Amino acid sequence: MSTHTPSPTFESAAAYLSNASSLSAVSNTIKLELYGLYKYLTVSHTPNTSRPSIFDMTGRAKWDAWNTAGKTYGGKAGEAEARYIAIARDLGWSEDKAPAPQGHLDLDSDDGEGGESSRGGGGFGFGTSVSTMSTSEEKSGSALSDLAIAGNAHELQLFLDANPNVDVNTRDENGYTALHLACDRGHIDVVRLLLGRGADPSIKVTSDPITYHTDPDTLQG
Amino acid sequence: MRQFWGTQPVPQLGEESPTADGYIEPSKPSEEVRQEPYPLPKDFGWTTVDVNDPVQLREVYELLSGHYVEDDVASFRFQYSAHFLHWALQPPGYHKEWHIGVRVASNNKLVAFISGVPMTVRVRDNTFKASEVNFLCVHKKLRSKRLAPVLIKEITRQCHLKGIFQALYTAGLLLPTPISTCRYYHRMINVKKLVEVNFTSVPSSMTLARLIRLNKLPDTPKLLAHGLREMEDRDVPQVTALYNRYMDRFGTAHIMDEEEIRHSLLSGRGEGPSTPDSWKIPREKQVVWTYVVENPETHRITDYFSFFSLPSTVMTTDKHNLLNAAYVFYYATDVALLDGAEEDGRLKKRLEEVLGDCLIIANCCQFDVVNALTLMDNVQFLSELRFHTGDGMLNYYLYNWRTAPLAGVNPVGGVPAGKGVGVVML
Repeated sequence: MSTHTPSPTFESAAAYLSNASSLSAVSNTIKLELYGLYKYLTVSHTPNTSRPSIFDMTGRAKWDAWNTAGKTYGGKAGEAEARYIAIARDLGWSEDKAPAPQGHLDLDSDDGEGGESSRGGGGFGFGTSVSTMSTSEEKSGSALSDLAIAGNAHELQLFLDANPNVDVNTRDENGYTALHLACDRGHIDVVRLLLGRGADPSIKVTSDPITYHTDPDTLQG
Repeated sequence: MRQFWGTQPVPQLGEESPTADGYIEPSKPSEEVRQEPYPLPKDFGWTTVDVNDPVQLREVYELLSGHYVEDDVASFRFQYSAHFLHWALQPPGYHKEWHIGVRVASNNKLVAFISGVPMTVRVRDNTFKASEVNFLCVHKKLRSKRLAPVLIKEITRQCHLKGIFQALYTAGLLLPTPISTCRYYHRMINVKKLVEVNFTSVPSSMTLARLIRLNKLPDTPKLLAHGLREMEDRDVPQVTALYNRYMDRFGTAHIMDEEEIRHSLLSGRGEGPSTPDSWKIPREKQVVWTYVVENPETHRITDYFSFFSLPSTVMTTDKHNLLNAAYVFYYATDVALLDGAEEDGRLKKRLEEVLGDCLIIANCCQFDVVNALTLMDNVQFLSELRFHTGDGMLNYYLYNWRTAPLAGVNPVGGVPAGKGVGVVML
């Protein structure tokens, strides 16, 4: 939990940015830096959840930005605040400026722009909070498995073309082949591609002796 | 926003924890309470929302469904049902003046809401009347109008007018200053759907099929053959007595009399008869499910548990519209009242049986997930019953009351995690 109380100057800058049209022209790098600084200053120094998986690219980028802010500024919240305010100035904020008139930025858009989170009834307060399951950063230890899980046949094809020595029938450290994983996740295009590249459908899962199929009704239960 | 909280009778962030409990500012005599509503920006006007009028109830429902609490990456947004709101906003002794809305003057559209309901709360050794404040919501397009502070000031004024000077509220956000912070945990029921809506993902070390099998639940509650049944009106006196004895074990509690227990645990059970099978079939308009275990010989109620329905709108996939979540509500077992039962593991074992049946019933009733916080005795059964860590936190706050931090997600002093918090918010 952050023990730092942001100054009114910071509050004013954050209020400005939550609604500033200039933000739409800003690079994602700057937006992410603002996001990281904002979370660092208002929530806690580092994220209180585990790092999202690589398939949640937005969530992961945000997490990384927040984590970077924590690593960069450590206990020096004053410096983090100064940096936030400096960026805000570049984007048109000044001490005497009231929040930008609304309507320039779509208020329904993503919350990661250094403004208030939409969590909690108006970025403000009362109510319970929505939670989803924390994703653990477990790795399959295999690029092939990761691609099979992700389900993007095009990327997998590029990977296989670039790495002609990869054996598509290799088991990863969990005992799964790429075909096992693609079948389990229901990625039909990937299954087709793997079979075309010589994947062997007769290989059994060692630790998990169940039949693999992609019929959703039978998977259920 | 912190400028606003700096003006309010709440402990400021970074203040040292108090050595003695008590109010921050004294209660005002009624003639000193401000009589006029706080001014709103021009073009807006106050309204008292009558939730017994289906049209107005619908307006609150629609405001909250479109603009209330979302998760951090805007994948899910709470969708409290109209029946739920009708139930939650009208406990015994409720004041219609505490159901406050803001309308646009020109077209009468409801664009903001805040509510309070009366409660008796115990915080450590002090018991007092308070307002449980909830459902603060401002239309997304009006977030820059600074309506929330005015809504908070107005609900405070309305509470003062009724002689209430303390409030309890919760928020995902960090405000000055939590008395405790709890973490959400989730028990997957419909694993496939939870993966499809990105509520969770299959770890790469596992297959979806295996994850489904690991979370499979039996068809029938284990205690069904030992006196488990739906709670009925005749159980209210015994459940109330067990409730208050059980809750006495936590640092804070919502003190309830029989009428309040009847409201909280029974009045939201919907319409329809009790039949031998009704334990597993949701009723029309049902928002809360409560079960008791009656000893077949002595006919004493030895245990009860309850959960409520709070769905979320799924915003990031077209495959599903709604995530059906059940939230663990109040429960108790008389095992907790036996000497040494907590130390020797009997309480933990009984809680696993009782809450295990709660999961089985939630599954029968077609819920996708069961959620619980690290409060009361939950920490004792979460991991055994396959709950997993959530990314959401819930902070508990008191308005105009000081107390030292209470055990929530973390133990505090000698108090184990969870046992500082005995109030479940809707």
